Amino acid sequence: MSQSGYAFLLAGGIGARLCLLSEKRAKPAVPFGGKYRILDFALSNCVNSGIFDVGILTQYRPTSLNQHIGSGRPWDLDRTRGGVQLLQPYLGSVENDWYRGTADAIFQNLMHVRQRRVEDLLILSGDHVYKMDYTAMLDFHTDRRADLTLAVTTVPEADASQFGILELDARGRVVSFEEKPVKPRSRFASMGVYVFRREVLWKALEEDAARSDSSHDFGKDVIPRLLADGTDVFGYPFPHYWQDVGTVDAYYQANMDLLGERPSVDLADPSWVVHTAILDLPPARLGAAAAVERSLVANGARVEGRVVRSVLFPGVVVERDAEVVDSILMNGTRVRPGARIERAILDKQVWVGAGARLGGGEGPPNQVCPEHLASGLVIVGKGAALPDGIEVGPNVRVDPGTRVEDFPGNVGAGEVVWNAREPEGGHSHGYPGAERAARRP
Amino acid sequence: MRETMGVFLAGGRGRGLGVLSEHRATAALPFAGKYRLVDFTLSNCHYSGIWPVALLTQHAPTSLREHVRGGRAWDLDRAEGGILTLQPFAWRERAAWYAGAADALLRNLSTYADTGAQRLVVGSAEHVYLMDYSDLLAAHLDARCPVTVAVTPARPDQVRRRHMVEVREGRVRRFEHYPERTELTLASMGLYVFEMEFLRAEAAGGPRRSMRDLLELALAHGVPLHAYRFGGFWEDVRDLETYYATSMAFLSPEPPLLLGDPQWPVETRAEERPPALFAEGSRVRNSLVAGGAVIEGEVENSILFGGAVVEHGARVTGSILMQDVHIGAGAVLDRAILDKQVGVGEGAVVGEGPLPRPGGGSDICVVGKEARLPAGYRMPRGTTVGVGADLTKTELLRAFAARPTGERRP
Repeated sequence: MSQSGYAFLLAGGIGARLCLLSEKRAKPAVPFGGKYRILDFALSNCVNSGIFDVGILTQYRPTSLNQHIGSGRPWDLDRTRGGVQLLQPYLGSVENDWYRGTADAIFQNLMHVRQRRVEDLLILSGDHVYKMDYTAMLDFHTDRRADLTLAVTTVPEADASQFGILELDARGRVVSFEEKPVKPRSRFASMGVYVFRREVLWKALEEDAARSDSSHDFGKDVIPRLLADGTDVFGYPFPHYWQDVGTVDAYYQANMDLLGERPSVDLADPSWVVHTAILDLPPARLGAAAAVERSLVANGARVEGRVVRSVLFPGVVVERDAEVVDSILMNGTRVRPGARIERAILDKQVWVGAGARLGGGEGPPNQVCPEHLASGLVIVGKGAALPDGIEVGPNVRVDPGTRVEDFPGNVGAGEVVWNAREPEGGHSHGYPGAERAARRP
Repeated sequence: MRETMGVFLAGGRGRGLGVLSEHRATAALPFAGKYRLVDFTLSNCHYSGIWPVALLTQHAPTSLREHVRGGRAWDLDRAEGGILTLQPFAWRERAAWYAGAADALLRNLSTYADTGAQRLVVGSAEHVYLMDYSDLLAAHLDARCPVTVAVTPARPDQVRRRHMVEVREGRVRRFEHYPERTELTLASMGLYVFEMEFLRAEAAGGPRRSMRDLLELALAHGVPLHAYRFGGFWEDVRDLETYYATSMAFLSPEPPLLLGDPQWPVETRAEERPPALFAEGSRVRNSLVAGGAVIEGEVENSILFGGAVVEHGARVTGSILMQDVHIGAGAVLDRAILDKQVGVGEGAVVGEGPLPRPGGGSDICVVGKEARLPAGYRMPRGTTVGVGADLTKTELLRAFAARPTGERRP
């Protein structure tokens, strides 16, 4: 195992396609799988691959991420040498500004690797669910004497136009690369996991930074230009589960994938532990009338009712005669007696009143997120409280912090329930909520 | 300089706990689905602001040390004066195990003195309770006695395993040790505050074995012992029945202690485990289920630690399954305690036969750590299988077969 590797982890993504879930947190900080956050997978991959020197690039809403990472303890990244560093954009010389793109984010932080004796650098994305040994990829990279190696997965033909699609020759050399092509030429997609030779990266980013016609993105700008220049770019095939949880439906499905007879990622593998930062909570408590099937239930949860094909995060309470089906309930959410929840994603600390009915069935897509909330799911934002006995149709989105009195009555399919107060106190700089507030009737 | 230090005894052999404490200090005994007994004491120290803390070990300290490590889980990994795990050591002139708790306490006096401590909170690391030691300390300072003894009410059925005390005008006047019956209603919790000055004088006064000796002598010499009354839940888990009953009390809708009180959560060095997985067809009622457990079968009135697996068709009632216990398909368990990594083969029965009449001795089955019961094995109620006994190897079946719980190994 290489003990001297360095990884940059890109964790600044806005995750607009995740609708409410990433409105107040960076996408890598979105809770996942009953106790994790999405970023835990890439970060645990690093330490399990023997890489104990990681720089995490943040920009958008980093608070929950900063809190989660802390000193890096749960990942054994609180080290004397190396460890984890959170790299937030800062105001310095004239050129330093907000990160203009993924490539720019790395460029502005290259000085962090100047002192480090590493030949190759890993660049990772914090948005993906997968378990991968990066040492095998580093070995492949060294073996091929590559300047740049991209990890490659296969994606369904229908989705291919959302990815960077590439073609490979027999030795794995990348012969073409197109970011989000209209007509994909293959089903090989870049996973957003790169190994760069340091000098190559340095030169490429320096050139890219100077160009005014660049959007400073690895997929759109840097990689195509490197290929055009004849750089040795290879593709490393990764045959295991990898999921970009970039959309509400993909996020929901990736959670449900953990519940099958053969879960997509084995979270219980003692040789590849997925670490996360979590407060100690006692074991889950199941009451005398509880009925739980095909579900993940985290510590600190309490179940008196019925739970089927669902993911319950720590501290979730499902009271008696309540029913939770095909749903994801995040930390501290409470379902009062007799409520029924179907195909819903409830963010943290949501309160569902007694006898309420959420989700189920089909209906028109959501009015504000029609592309991302159309498959029937209900999304309820953090801290929202739903009144007793209310009925909420499919494709509904309920704002974070919405109070019982904000509900005019039952909520029909595709509708939006706004929080009547501006939770930001006016400080919504650079935040999509600003436009939304203006749109509000 | 800190004026107060915590010293907690974690060296007991825990004979009453049979195979559960054969290879581990009682303080390291797994409890309530994810904790170990010592977690209560160390969490108390954390929240009471007591540090440094010394743990005095003697019997099988490995699993305790492994659990406590540098004290991280309790924020006791401090640059100055965190946690010390003190095992008896040999001097040039002599080498001897601790003769008892008082001996252990007094033999480390110079270590406490090095921290500058002027008084010690001394207790057992094996007790189940949540308590703010700063209240105890305040009462001690207020009383201006060299010794304060924490006392708590005892029910008549408990007095046989308690050091009962007579308290008058806030002072301990008399002890009755393990009485069959007594008029006294208060018991010593084995938790004290000692002025260092008093302990130095005791150490100079000659050998002291047990705390009982030390306190009886103090009483005889007219040393005032202040009594501090504690009203919360407290239990000394010293035998299998108590361990079982105390564990099961946590299944009640009103458990004796709130383990997850946000103001005072019991802290432990938790292993990273995924959420518990409930498979198709699982039926789990009135149970505690820790992260990493996987349940396909039926579980009722039971406690499942992390990584415990109950395969389909298996039925587990009134039982405690510690970490990574594996119950094969169709096995049936009733009133059993299975230590870590025990394997139960398909269709085995643990706790076979009718329930004994009350008072007819223990009916609990206990299976020692890493033991393996073969498919179809039948284990009668009230029997024990030893640590590591692999009964799937038929030649060993006779030698290691279940023996009555509580019976000493030949």
